Amino acid sequence: MTTTNGTPDPEAGHPVTGLDEVVHQRARLGILTIAHEAHRVEFGYLRTHLDLTAGNLSKHLSVLETAGLIEIQKGYEGRRGRTWITLTAAGNTALANEIARLKQLIARVETTNGQ
Amino acid sequence: MTTESVPAGGDPRRLLSDIRSLAHQVRLDQRMTWVALLVLGAVTLVGIPFDWLGMTVHCRPDTSCEFARRGVLLYWPPALLLAYTAIAVCYMRAARARGLGARTLPYAIAGAATTVVFTTAWIAAALYFPDHPLPDQPLPYRWLILDRLVSPWSMIGIALVVLARIERNLGLLLFTLAYLALVLLVLPMNEGWGLAGWELQARFAVPQVISGALLLLGAAGFFRAARRQQR
Repeated sequence: MTTTNGTPDPEAGHPVTGLDEVVHQRARLGILTIAHEAHRVEFGYLRTHLDLTAGNLSKHLSVLETAGLIEIQKGYEGRRGRTWITLTAAGNTALANEIARLKQLIARVETTNGQ
Repeated sequence: MTTESVPAGGDPRRLLSDIRSLAHQVRLDQRMTWVALLVLGAVTLVGIPFDWLGMTVHCRPDTSCEFARRGVLLYWPPALLLAYTAIAVCYMRAARARGLGARTLPYAIAGAATTVVFTTAWIAAALYFPDHPLPDQPLPYRWLILDRLVSPWSMIGIALVVLARIERNLGLLLFTLAYLALVLLVLPMNEGWGLAGWELQARFAVPQVISGALLLLGAAGFFRAARRQQR
């Protein structure tokens, strides 16, 4: 059920079977998308733009970090603690795969509806 | 681990739409287009006195004149490198304050590369022409455009195209194409422009004032647009 590497093969069964459970979740997908686009992103930006509580966001970040999809760096700017999140190469691949699978799913649904 | 993990009907489309709008929001939050245009507009206007004072003009009795724009060669290379450094630093600081990273390296590289191209072309011309006959006047159109292309004012536009690509900023791309059309095809950046009786320095200043003013107007426009988006 979990694929994190390689390009999804459109001939390899239903696209749902290729979805990555770690990534296929609204908040985590949002984290990966923002980290991909921003190069690196701060905890506060993610919390605000994904409308999550600090605790909830921390849990999602922990899942992604354990899966090796993001790296978390903690530090200080002046007296203020800041947590920066960076996408790893595996995270980049996982995000690309997820988007490809979602597009496949949409295409399949549209094909089915059209028949 | 599996909260919300199974897509309900229609969810893939919504997820993709969410991804796109998040990515778009990040790009908007990273943009500091007006700063880039403000710095480049200011650099253009500040460069005018350098061009004016550094220009050497030798007019012959037949009213034809030879000139050398040494001020351009002395002012623009360091000014452009400083400008691109300042823009990159502003982008990084602003993005960091918003909690984001910034992708300024390609723009800084493009800025440095265009500065090298312009400087090399102008030094080559300065070394070549004193010992070789000047080309027949008027110059063929393609040479005229090529001469304008390797000028600092056009190189600013080339680097702005790279910035528009990095920011995926259609507004900046359209503005830059209009700016490039102006400095390449309309304004006589390499011939000067003005009323009869104006000295050569003043004629060369006019196109620079117009291009600098356009960049500053662009900065004001993008600043207003950014403020509107933040509200």
